[in-house]
Formats: sequence, structure tokens, C-alpha cells
Amino acid sequence: MRRPLGIILPILLLIVWEIAAQSINNQFILPRLETVVPVLLAPTVDILGTGSLVHNALVSLERVGAGFLVALAIAIPLGVGMGWSQRFDAIVDTTIQLLRPIPPLAWGPLAIAWFSVGINSMVFIIFLGAFFPILLNTIDGVKSIKKTWVEVAQTLGASERQVLSKVVLPGASPTIWTGLRVGFGIAWMCVIAAEWLPGTTSGLGYLTLYAYNFGQMHYIIAGMITIGIIGIAFDFLFRSVEDRWFCWRGLER
Amino acid sequence: MKGMRLLLLGCLAVLLVAAACTTTQQVTGDVGILYTKGTGPMPTLLATKQIDGYIAWQPFVEVAPVAHIGKVITYSGELPPAGRWQNHPCCVLAARTDLMGSNPALVDAMGAATILATRYVNDHPSEGAEIVADWLAGKGNFTYGNVTVSSVEVLDRAFPTVKFVNEPSEAWMNGQVEFIYALRELKALTGSLSNTTDTQSKALLFDTGPYTRAMAMIGAGKITAPPAERDPVGVGYLLSDHDASLFVAVKKWQYFNDTYGIALKPHDMTATRPDVVDLLVNGVKVAELKLIPADAGPQLMQLAATNTIQFAYVGNPPTIAAIDKGTPVKILMALNDEGSGVVVVTDSPATDWDSFVRWAKERSAAGKPIKMAAPGKGSIQDVMLRYALEESGLSVKEVQA
Repeated sequence: MRRPLGIILPILLLIVWEIAAQSINNQFILPRLETVVPVLLAPTVDILGTGSLVHNALVSLERVGAGFLVALAIAIPLGVGMGWSQRFDAIVDTTIQLLRPIPPLAWGPLAIAWFSVGINSMVFIIFLGAFFPILLNTIDGVKSIKKTWVEVAQTLGASERQVLSKVVLPGASPTIWTGLRVGFGIAWMCVIAAEWLPGTTSGLGYLTLYAYNFGQMHYIIAGMITIGIIGIAFDFLFRSVEDRWFCWRGLER
Repeated sequence: MKGMRLLLLGCLAVLLVAAACTTTQQVTGDVGILYTKGTGPMPTLLATKQIDGYIAWQPFVEVAPVAHIGKVITYSGELPPAGRWQNHPCCVLAARTDLMGSNPALVDAMGAATILATRYVNDHPSEGAEIVADWLAGKGNFTYGNVTVSSVEVLDRAFPTVKFVNEPSEAWMNGQVEFIYALRELKALTGSLSNTTDTQSKALLFDTGPYTRAMAMIGAGKITAPPAERDPVGVGYLLSDHDASLFVAVKKWQYFNDTYGIALKPHDMTATRPDVVDLLVNGVKVAELKLIPADAGPQLMQLAATNTIQFAYVGNPPTIAAIDKGTPVKILMALNDEGSGVVVVTDSPATDWDSFVRWAKERSAAGKPIKMAAPGKGSIQDVMLRYALEESGLSVKEVQA
């Protein structure tokens, strides 16, 4: 019953949108549905020489994938270290807390200077977006492992390495997975912003900004909807994995 | 159901009104100037009456009339004082001095490719407009509500208002020096150009050697092949028809290759905006060029300062400001003169500059001064609009948010 109920508001919003668009009659404030829908229904047609929606979505996904993987590869080991060793945590934590509140896009000018224009600086910005949620969740996941589990393993003669790989990592994995889900969501938002950096020539973020130059609001909205749909799709994917593999989290008490 | 709809519509209306009230900005002079960091937001701001007009480079001047949101009252060459801005310098080709030192023949070759493409644009304006429409919009259509216009038509309208020239003449250099004075007034020059004589300024700004040598090579009918560059060379440009020579050089590479033995051959022949091209001299690749677009000149100069790009097709004030701050670049030649325009909202009583000034004075007297958008503080458009307004007896203040 939840899904049918949930669908009512979006439909209502579409109706309100169309009525508002017709009464405002200014496509710069709100373009009509009938100018946006054809763009979404033709996702393989070129837009302003920038490529199709599908092409640009794939480009953006590739970038977010790269940045996300780098973040994952660094944040998980670091998070396990920080969660496991209080001493290591004490050394690193202050630095992490200092860097964490800086919005990824604020790094834009430096990213361009350090990694030059193109994919590398975008990956850097996406990495920053995904890094902290993954790291914090990993730390949290490791810290919240039950002492009894570790003690049982140690009593049975497990080495520290075995404890980490057989008890800590699996035990923390549901929380880490939540971190990945949140991290990917933020990375996806960051790729859109990262594509506003100079020198970009493709991607959904670039497409929306480029359409802005010519006042093509229907392309902007079509781009926004595509960004939203892809975001939801990935969130759904992460959630279904969570439900399937990590449902035990709620069971043990 | 109907009540619900009305309620939601009402909420939306309240939100919009609230937003309009809270974002009202303070204008303290006769005319307020709002900087929009490029041309992007201008059509939207105009269509939503947040500004009364704007000054922009082409083709964004023509976007207003074709979208029925504004009208062009004057093009930049006719701005007052009379004759002052006729043939005013606009975009230039600039290069980093380290590349000019390490591979001067490469810089000469880029100069030759640019000059030849400029000639082609002047000889084939409608083809030039079509190529620019392809580069900027894949020759696609722009849709504004019920109005749909082809990008080719927009560029056709814009092209005659841009003068494509390359010669770094004495008059052109003096025109550039005018911008130094304007930027000093705006307190935008604080470095090496803050206190120079005109002769010293010119020595810091220009190196016309590449232009002279490129013209000699073209005259002799033979382009000298530079030593090959191992690393890719970055070429920054603006998404404007002012940089038409670059777009034409790439899109008509086969013609230039066959006719003159110099070409910018794209790696991806099907791309509307190629981002990697080979510089071919007499059929041999001498460098791989990475073409990097930006929204505005200051971004390009930041890329030049960090050595990400070695060439820039860019407006002159950002280049002057960058040289002032020690960025190692020189201006090699012109790309275009004029090519900007002033747009006002459709229901404005202004039809030309004089009626625009009357309108601005009326609005100022009524306590509701008009707001004009310019791409950036110290941009060519900003400088010209400020000069023209002040010349017409109107004070100008930046809009305070």
C-alpha cells in the first residue's frame, strides 16, 4: 500500500507544474511539461552538440565510479585502522575533522592547479565527496563491534590479522555498506558540481550548465530529472543489497 | 481535488513572492551593474525581470531578440563617446612566454593557422556562421516556449556584428592601452601594470613577432615545420563566435592542410566540439593540442597561470589583468574587434542609446534605478558600459546583494 500512496504526490506535483507553467507563461521560470517530456523520451538524441542524455549520463557515471572507487579504497582501510586502534585514531582524527567540513567544490581551484583540467580534478572532487561518509561509517562500524565477539575469537587463539578479517570486517560490513550508499549519493551530487569546472566538455552537470547559456530551461530540467532518476536507481540498488545480505544486522541482539 | 490544486498553487505563489521580496537588491547609483560571471544567467535574469538589460558578447546578444525576452539597442562599436569604441579590440590570441622561448616556430605556426582561418571566415561568412553554430550547439535548435529558432539563424544574425581581424596594428594596441586605463580606474591593476607609461605597458603586453613571422610564411607560401612537442599543448578558448577562427581552423582542417600545409586535425571527426586535435605542418604532426573551453576569460588565465594551457583565445582585459599579476603570457595578435551588444527588456521604452539614457534617468529620478548585467568586473563589456553611461551623465554602482 505504501508505493501506490507514494506515487500520488509526484503526479500531483506534475499537474501543479503544468498548471503553474501555463499560468506563468514564461519558460525561463517554469517550462511546460510538453517541452521537457520529449527530451526525456528521446535520450539518444544529441543536445546542443554536447551529446545525448544517455551519453552524458554514462560519462558522469564513469567519473563518479572512478572517484567512488578511490574513496572506497582509501577510506575503508583508514576507517578500520581508526576504529581498531585508539592511538591511530588519536593521531588522525583531528586532521580528518578539520578537512571534513570543507565542501568538495571549494577545492575546485586547487584541484585544477594540482590535477589539471579534465577527469583527474573531477575524480578528486568526487573522491572528497564520497570519502568522509565511507570513512565515518567504517570507523563507527568497527567501533561498534561487540567486544565479546573479539574476545571469543582471541580466546580461541585467533591472531590480530584473523580477528580483523574474520570478525571485525564482516561485523562492520553492514555499517560500511551504509557508508558506501551515502557516499555514492554524495559523490553523484558532486560529479554534477565538478562538471561545472572549466575545461569540462561533457557530463550531465556540464549539459545543464551549458544549456543555461542559451536559456534552454527544458534541457536543464530534463537533465535534472535524469540526474534524479539515476540517483534513485543507485540508491535502490544499494538498498536491495543491504536488504539481501545485511538483513542479519537487525536480528542479532 | 480542485481545492488541493489551488492550495498548492497558492503555496507556490507565496513562495515566489517571498523570494522576490527577500532578494531585492540595493542600487545606489543612477544605474546598477550586476556581475554574472559569464553570460550564462543573463537570459534567465532578463526573462524574470531581475535585471532591466545586459551587455554581453555574441551570440548571447542575439539570444534575447530571438527568445522574445529583450531587444538590442546598440552594438558595442556604436557606444558613446562617438567613435571611441569603433573597432574596439576584443578577443586576442595569447601564449605563454616559456613556450615562445622553447619552441618559437610552434607559436608562429599557431599564429599562421589562426590568420588563415580568419581570412577564411571573412571570405565565407555564412559558412563561418554555420561552423560556429555547429561548434556551439551542434547546429541544433533553441526552444523558448512556443518559439523555436535554429542556432544557425542566431549565428547568422550575430556574425555581421563581429569584425574578424588579426593585425596587431598601432591603433589596435592603443585601443588595448585604453583598457589598461579603465582597469586602473576599477582598481583591478595592482601589479606590474599599475604605474607604467604607455610604451612600457605595450612592451609588457605584446609580442608581435609571431604575427610578423606567420605573415611572412603565409606570404612565401611555405610554413616552417617547428620541432615536434612531446607533451600535449593546452589551448583554451571561449564558447563565443569571437573565437570563430579556432573553430573554422579545426572544422576545415582538410582544406587548410591541402591549401597551405597547416592544419588542426581533430582526433574525433564526428565530435561537434573536438577536444583533441593534431597540429599538422606539411602533413607531419608537430604537436597534440588539447582544446579547453571556459565560461569566461579569468578562468582561462587561471589555467594559463598554472601552465595547464599554453595558448588562449581570450578577451583582452583578463589577459591584461593576468600579465599585471605576473602570469607569463604575451598577446600575439587580435582575433576580433567589436562583437558585443546591449540588450534591454522588451517593454522598455528605449530603442537606441539616447532613449536608453532617458529611460535610465527617469527610473533613477523615480527612485527605481535600472539594473544592467555584465559578464564580469573589468570585462570589456563592463568597461564599455561604464564609460558609455558615465559619458552620458549617469553614475554607475555595483549592485549590492
